[in-house]
Amino acid sequence: MASVGGQEIDWEAALIQRASKGDASAFERLYREYSGRVYALCLRMTRDAALAEDCTQETFINAWRALARFETRSAFGTWLHRIAVNVVLGRRRRSSFGAEASLESDHLEETEWAFDTPVEESEIEDAIAELPEGARDVLVLSGIYGYSHVETAQMLGVAEGTCKAQLHRARKLLKERLNVEMS
Amino acid sequence: MANPNGTDSRKNRIRSLRELPQDIPPARDLWPDIAARIEKHAQGADHPSVETSRRRPRPSRVPWVALAAAVAALAVGVWVGRALLPASGVSAPGQLASNGTQPLLPAAFVNDPRYIEERKQLVQQLEKKLASLPPETQNKVKASLATIRQSITDIQAALGQDPGNALLQELLVNTYQDEMRVLATVNQAQPRQEI
Repeated sequence: MASVGGQEIDWEAALIQRASKGDASAFERLYREYSGRVYALCLRMTRDAALAEDCTQETFINAWRALARFETRSAFGTWLHRIAVNVVLGRRRRSSFGAEASLESDHLEETEWAFDTPVEESEIEDAIAELPEGARDVLVLSGIYGYSHVETAQMLGVAEGTCKAQLHRARKLLKERLNVEMS
Repeated sequence: MANPNGTDSRKNRIRSLRELPQDIPPARDLWPDIAARIEKHAQGADHPSVETSRRRPRPSRVPWVALAAAVAALAVGVWVGRALLPASGVSAPGQLASNGTQPLLPAAFVNDPRYIEERKQLVQQLEKKLASLPPETQNKVKASLATIRQSITDIQAALGQDPGNALLQELLVNTYQDEMRVLATVNQAQPRQEI
């Protein structure tokens, strides 16, 4: 949100509106703003840079097609993330990677995912990359991007209980691999 | 994945997952490929309200939405037909009315008295016939009909914007026929017949 002549201008909303009418240059500016956020999610979910690039491109192309349906009251970045998750999951299905067994649990509340001692970023990224697919997906969405259990479950198309169980599993595995305590 | 950030973060120690970078720029600029594909779609009239900088007239995008819906409907209709029917298949009224040389317009099709009467009877018998089929089959038939009817709605909406579109007209007739095929298939299915 910028202020020009005392008037608040929501540049992002303006760009979205222009892009939804077919203005590709406006959409390019949105891409420049959000490509890193989308690519980071795709990379963490796929663990493959080339595949993450493909998924990022597909995400923006799908977003372009669906822009008219975007509701400006929701966050554009979250909307893009939803599309990105769908793209990654779709790729997985097409690649015949089997979906992991559904787990149900309701005993894990949302946490901050804090470590008792500082850990190197690269160590954490490596540990996350080694997590099983389902656990990694929920950890990335919930632990790194801060989506709620409900939002994460909706994005991944799983039950909330499954999401919580996968988080519990991710947390346990991460603790073991990093050899730290987590709060 | 040693370091998704591609930067030297080996010395960067953090205490929470939330401190990990939320943005990681891709190693190369992905925009040129995206722009090329967007342009390609724009030429195919794929964007909901696209106004390209060239402002050249393009056909409405709606037919392609309808086409996709119709293809989906056709797929499920054919699938249900194959699953339930003997090899002989079922003739829909529209097919009977066609002389094989001129495509039927939707209006002519839906106003055909034979179509109206046969559809009415099949719809009346649908619930009773469905109840005699296994639950899984019932669900599949209901899903197929829902898809087909949604397709009819989509295509009708598209025709509302482009009434003279022959492709859409043909698709609509085909989709009406798909609905009839499913209804007739259910009507001829044996009790407890499974897919």
